[in-house]
Amino acid sequence: MVVAVLVCFLALFARLVQLQIFQGEQHRSTARENIVYQNTLATTRGVIRDAMGRVLAANRPSYNVYGVPAKIDLEKVWPRAVELMRLGEQEARDLRARIVAIRANSTRLATQQSLLVADVDRDVLGVLETNADELPGIEVVPSPVRYYPYGTLGAHTIGHMREIDGEMLTRVSSRGYKPGDRLGATGVERRWESYLKGQRGWRKSLRGVRKGKNLDELEARYLEDPRSLEPVPGRDISLTVDIELVKAMEQSMRGQLAGAAVVVDVRTGRILAALSKPGFDPNVLSGGAGKTEVRDAFRRLYSDPLNPMLDKTISATYPPGSTYKPFSALAALADGTIKPSDEVDCRGGVEYGRRYFRCTGVHRRVNLHEAMVQSCNSYFYQLGQGINIDRLAQIGMDFGFGVRTGIGVNPEARGRMPTRSWYTQHYKGQFLGGWTLLAAIGQGATTVTVLQLALSYAALANGGTLYQPQLVRSIETSDGTVVQEFPPRVRRVVELDQTDLSLVKLGMKGVIMEKEGTGYKYRIDGIDMAGKTGTAQVDRATGRGADQQKVWYFNRDHAWFAGYAPADSPEIAIVVLVEHGGGGGKNAVPVAMKVVQTWNELKQKRLVQKAKPGGASRSRVQ
Amino acid sequence: MRNKELSFRSGPHVDMPLLVAIVAIATCGLVNLYSATSPYIGSGTHGRIADIYVSQIYWIVVGVLLGVITTVIDYRAFERWATVLYLGGAFSLGLVWVLGTDIRGASRWIQLGSFTFQPSEFMKIVIVLMIARYIHNDPKTEPRTLIDLAPPVAFGLVPALVVMAQPDLGTAIIFIMTTLSVVGMTKIRSRTVFNISVAAVIGMVLFWNYRASLLHGYQLRRLESFVNPDADKTGAAWHALQAQTAIGNGGLTGEGFMQGTQNQFGRLPDQYSDFPFAVFAEDWGLLGSLVLLVLYGFVCIWAVHIASQARDRFGAALAIGVGAIFFWHTLFNLGMAIGLFPVVGITLPLFSYGGSSVVTILISLGFLMNVSMRR
Repeated sequence: MVVAVLVCFLALFARLVQLQIFQGEQHRSTARENIVYQNTLATTRGVIRDAMGRVLAANRPSYNVYGVPAKIDLEKVWPRAVELMRLGEQEARDLRARIVAIRANSTRLATQQSLLVADVDRDVLGVLETNADELPGIEVVPSPVRYYPYGTLGAHTIGHMREIDGEMLTRVSSRGYKPGDRLGATGVERRWESYLKGQRGWRKSLRGVRKGKNLDELEARYLEDPRSLEPVPGRDISLTVDIELVKAMEQSMRGQLAGAAVVVDVRTGRILAALSKPGFDPNVLSGGAGKTEVRDAFRRLYSDPLNPMLDKTISATYPPGSTYKPFSALAALADGTIKPSDEVDCRGGVEYGRRYFRCTGVHRRVNLHEAMVQSCNSYFYQLGQGINIDRLAQIGMDFGFGVRTGIGVNPEARGRMPTRSWYTQHYKGQFLGGWTLLAAIGQGATTVTVLQLALSYAALANGGTLYQPQLVRSIETSDGTVVQEFPPRVRRVVELDQTDLSLVKLGMKGVIMEKEGTGYKYRIDGIDMAGKTGTAQVDRATGRGADQQKVWYFNRDHAWFAGYAPADSPEIAIVVLVEHGGGGGKNAVPVAMKVVQTWNELKQKRLVQKAKPGGASRSRVQ
Repeated sequence: MRNKELSFRSGPHVDMPLLVAIVAIATCGLVNLYSATSPYIGSGTHGRIADIYVSQIYWIVVGVLLGVITTVIDYRAFERWATVLYLGGAFSLGLVWVLGTDIRGASRWIQLGSFTFQPSEFMKIVIVLMIARYIHNDPKTEPRTLIDLAPPVAFGLVPALVVMAQPDLGTAIIFIMTTLSVVGMTKIRSRTVFNISVAAVIGMVLFWNYRASLLHGYQLRRLESFVNPDADKTGAAWHALQAQTAIGNGGLTGEGFMQGTQNQFGRLPDQYSDFPFAVFAEDWGLLGSLVLLVLYGFVCIWAVHIASQARDRFGAALAIGVGAIFFWHTLFNLGMAIGLFPVVGITLPLFSYGGSSVVTILISLGFLMNVSMRR
């Protein structure tokens, strides 16, 4: 009996040794975790501003209604809550069913807050707060949501936010993201995410300290240093974009279904405005209105045949059509295969090989200048017969076509400058000379992005300097101190004969200013602009069984205008693309005209403002 | 034997080792109770919990007085009163059904004026007296058979079934284990031992299979969470895991008196009733726990020693019974605190807060002292 007792006590002792000695460290750390709690301190995302300091993306509080299922009285409190929150009948029934389900399934979840309604209106918020006493178990909790004051304006450039889902979390959790966080999904929001997001802080605190205890003393004893880390707010970002110019673009393209436009400063390569149409509202996609809204919005956007989510200034390529002619002309002039005075008799087209290459009309005898002004294809077919296709691609590459511009924001398309080897890779059989003819007028396999075209025209305008496109001008701390300023960067200086260039530029001026010019009819008096129209044929897609009206639309030509202003001392380059818009002169030039007009007005206004001290003020929204 | 006739007044013959051990345990228990309830000092609504060590002192005083009485009166007198006491105890157990006060879903208490008492606690020692009386008056010297064992086992088993229905599983277990310990002291036929063992195994298997219908909800959850603690860390297993964390946190030397964080920050549940040892082990570490184990172990072994030297069968059975009460309480309470047994409400002698428990233990120890002094 004594032995049995001894054995029992030895067993107890052995277990104590196991708990206190062998597992001691482990239990000690568990005990510490039990009392030391690390609270997360939220940070604020950086603000995005335009060139004039106007806020393009900021944070606003959104108010979510949470409820503790176990605490909500479904008989008395719930009907009142439904009434105050102005829920629909179906919505109220669903929510009630969810509360009942949580209660039945898990006692733990039932005692924790769960989200009932996301982002309630301001007036509902007011009603809920004044009647909080009547609603035990229901609480309104603020949480920041990204806010884009200009809505769809510049949405592709600025971007939107998305909530981190499970699959994504595994990739980004090492960078400090937590479930439910949002991060930039497109545009500047995505590209500059690491600067904008800021850094969370934390503060350690003791849990379960009884009333009447000396908290400071306990904290000194149990909280190891450092006891807290202050959150670092995200960096603010200033863009080169002037949102008012974007607004002007949007207004001048009201009549068009789809398209894109870019304005670039020819002296810096800074993007002053960019628009892709149709657009989307980043406010909805960023989750302010709740998850179902986000899902619905995405479904709508991705089923739209006009591709609203695509940034058509950067991510899509189009045949440049006649807007490529200045480059063909420059190549031929430099090689001496044409002389400015050479004339071609245009009879509405050229026969080459076994094909007939059409012109836009019958231009009769035209020289280079007239061919540019009237956009005569026959002249450029003739030019194409005397030049190597690789040479045409070469000058295109010199001006930045066929390679990514390196803007960094949004996935960038490369475009294509077809060479002989490209054709041998992609087409069986003999290389056809006709392909060179098509390349000379910017058709065939040649494709460019709107941004590439704008930068190349900026290079034409400034005498051959090709700039790196620039969208972000500076990064600042939240108190306005500039952390980093980005100077313009030159990608390359294209070697050009300035007399050749001035010939081509004269032609481009004629497009707008001369009576025969393809853009003359659509000019606005007093607007000084030069450029080239384009009407780019698209691959005929005969969608079988498709809606006839839709087929008609998608088979229409793209309308282009690429140019710069003012014509003689250029400051900005502008490219307008109206997708399936038809003739370039009729459809694209008026848009460009109106944008340049607004740009002029804005410039005048700012000159006046600058004269007055303190005229331009920065607005801040946190 | 010369000192056979000596009364307790002959001071030198008081069982000093036993007395010292009891005083040491009681002192540790009281000090530990102060530490266990210290988080509540000055904390408004729960402030009165911090004062329960004062009422524990009152109970100890009452217990010591009653213990002295049971020491002074020759234990043989209780042999004559055992039947009366047993019937009285059984009656008061029955009274619980009528007058019972519900505390935490179990009616174990009887309200007497301003304080409540728990008849099932006192029943423990009464059962021991009754069985001891039976063994004493049973002249049999050859090994006992199952039929011989039936009456003494019934003395413990019937009250056990009653308290189990209260429901109070812990007390029922103590009744049964104590009964078996005392009965097991007698000479039993080896075939009977074998039969009982087989029956016990079968009984346990049946119990496990029908546990859902035999046990109350919380008992079942505790049992299942003991078998599989990871399944429900926040639920039923939570108490046991927190207690183990507290004990492990004590390490070798402990966090120091009133410094155990698990207790001080309110992470330890039932720290003054079910888990006082967790508080002690966290404050004093393995070294302190070792001292305590030695004290408890000494009392249990000393009880066996006293029984072996007792003058008659009644005394021996009584000593074994008291030792068994003490031993099983200690074993189950410590075992549950360190995670060797599932959580059942069994108190730690002289450590757990509770008037009935303290008084019963002190009365029982009085009997032990009594037997020791009259050998």
